[in-house]
Amino acid sequence: MRHVLVMTTFAFIASVVFGAVAKDTSKDRFLYGLKVFAEFMVIGLALSWALYFLPL
Amino acid sequence: MEDQDLVRREAAHEEDVSTQAWLIGAAGWFCPGAGHMLQGKWARALILGGAVWVCYLAGLWMGGHLFTVGGSAEGGLSALLQVPPTIADLGSGVLYIFCWILGVGFADDPAHAARATYEYGTNFLLIAGLLNYLVMLDAFDVSVGRKP
Repeated sequence: MRHVLVMTTFAFIASVVFGAVAKDTSKDRFLYGLKVFAEFMVIGLALSWALYFLPL
Repeated sequence: MEDQDLVRREAAHEEDVSTQAWLIGAAGWFCPGAGHMLQGKWARALILGGAVWVCYLAGLWMGGHLFTVGGSAEGGLSALLQVPPTIADLGSGVLYIFCWILGVGFADDPAHAARATYEYGTNFLLIAGLLNYLVMLDAFDVSVGRKP
């Protein structure tokens, strides 16, 4: 659970900054931030499941 | 004659704007959020600066490690590998300098590294510095008029 919490915190902070510096209007910033957050979460979860099945 | 005066005044104005933008960029690096605050962009300063501060403090709280160029006991390649993370950590400006003066976060002992959140914390500290470079560039762009 702690891992997910840390990943979510990181995704939130990074997406806030990326969203705020990337676009020109508030709506675009919010949507872009949301998209970046979703990407971080989905890719993070996908990678963690992929690594789970690898015999490392 | 008037045209020459106008050109000269415009050049002087551009130079002033450029100097101001560099100073705002430097302020933004030194104190996360200050670059936007100096331009009266309070909401952006709070959001962007706040994100960097939270990321940095979370990293310290998790027991993360801060890098220095002379931090490795070994020389050569090992010392060279310390340079990129040190540049990332330096992005946090006064936060890094404050920790450096107090010696907080620079411990490199096995007991410290054994903490479950050590790696997370180290990465949060690196990310805080890198994000602040982005925030600093944004403040610079706003100052020269490239961004609203």
